[in-house]
Amino acid sequence: MRKKSGFVAAAALYVVFYLFVASQALERTIDFSSYLAYAPVIFRGWLTTIAISLVSLILAILVGLILYLMRESKFSVLFYLAEIHKTIIFGTPLVVLAMVAYFYIGDAFGIKSKFWVGAIALAFYIGAYIADIYKGAVESIHINQWQTAKMFGFTRYQTYRYVVLPQVITSILPPLTGQLTMTIKSSAILAYMATDEFLNTIRTVQAIGFRYPEGFMITILGYLILTVPLIVLVGKLEKKLNYKV
Amino acid sequence: MKLKIDDLYKHYDQKGVIEGLSLDLKDLKILSLIGASGSGKSTLLRLIAGLEVYESGSIEVNGHSVTADASNDYRKKVGFVFQDHNLFNHLSIFENIMLVLEKVHHRNRGEAEAEVTQLLDQFGLLEHAHKKPHQISGGQAQRASIARAMAIKPDLILLDEPTSSLDPVLTYEVLNAVRKLAEKSIDFIIVTHEIGFAKNIADHIVFMAAGKIIEQGSADILNAPKTNELKSFLDKILTYNSPEL
Repeated sequence: MRKKSGFVAAAALYVVFYLFVASQALERTIDFSSYLAYAPVIFRGWLTTIAISLVSLILAILVGLILYLMRESKFSVLFYLAEIHKTIIFGTPLVVLAMVAYFYIGDAFGIKSKFWVGAIALAFYIGAYIADIYKGAVESIHINQWQTAKMFGFTRYQTYRYVVLPQVITSILPPLTGQLTMTIKSSAILAYMATDEFLNTIRTVQAIGFRYPEGFMITILGYLILTVPLIVLVGKLEKKLNYKV
Repeated sequence: MKLKIDDLYKHYDQKGVIEGLSLDLKDLKILSLIGASGSGKSTLLRLIAGLEVYESGSIEVNGHSVTADASNDYRKKVGFVFQDHNLFNHLSIFENIMLVLEKVHHRNRGEAEAEVTQLLDQFGLLEHAHKKPHQISGGQAQRASIARAMAIKPDLILLDEPTSSLDPVLTYEVLNAVRKLAEKSIDFIIVTHEIGFAKNIADHIVFMAAGKIIEQGSADILNAPKTNELKSFLDKILTYNSPEL
């Protein structure tokens, strides 16, 4: 167990670092008045970020499952469709993919809602990573568990339903919660698509009041309020679910 | 049991593990397979269980032709106890047995619960019934694994070195549990390094080396080995064992 005094000292060092940057870079005193004036808009943006992250993650869980099943498929065309998708996603910056989705793909499929184009684009992006989480979880089920099920006469369906799936769910919960943190952070990219999410509303108020540093302070704080509890939850889940096999 | 193996070959990556093995035994209760590590005895047991594919030859157990695609009818009559208990990690000891009885053997829940409770009591595991495998000792887990194999009321139980990963005290506990199988008049085949135990309990012993049967017969072959291979094996294995074992 680490000492709490260490945490306090580390936090103090971050405050010193912040004050140093502020004293060097800020030319004016700090003023949040423009953000207070637009607080309801910013709050709505913050809620939109939560909504878009949750919707994206739910879609990504499905996309990830489909991609995983495609990669496990006997049909090589399905396997390669999933592999090419993964290669493109892993090898391209999210900001580029989001803009392509917004300007071209959404348009081609007649999806006008910025919210939905953004959520679907994020789902396809995060889904590629989630497919890998499924793969790792299924592979982590020891061969002995499969063989025991086979030996006792379980059908393929029963083996998945009663032996593999419950163990897979237990082991994917912590990384999935981690992916939600990733999704929340990645959703900021949708500001480039002019979606009215948290970062975009802040950028708008920054442009109105010219109070840029204050805007970044609020942005960081707004994301930390969402992500820190999830990071703590992941840590707790890992401890709770991490049993010896 | 009736066991007939005819000219059996099994390879792993071009390397022969079972080399033209034949065996024809009738009216057999307890068969013990002994031999050094790598002699092919565990592989032979797994082939008899229908857990592995063989290249050529045939295996017949109590009139059932056994292959890796062995029907569930065969599996429902054969129990298997693995080296490392192989209990389902996410379920309690009680649920491990109930799952098999309910889902594979379609037993009535109430009756099955009563039987499982009685069985766990017999094996001295009742107080651990609702613990998960990682919460009990290796010996208790192995006993639970034997109880699970017995629960399906098999004609035959196959045991693959059930004490190999246990210390002497736990080994004693598990061997006592195995002895209970003999008292229940269940046929079994056991792969073991516990020569004293094999001598005590088996009515037929098969000594293997390099994928072949070198010597076989009643327990007397362990007192008066005919082949140099068995003599040398026994000399090595008994050097540091107490004669009482």
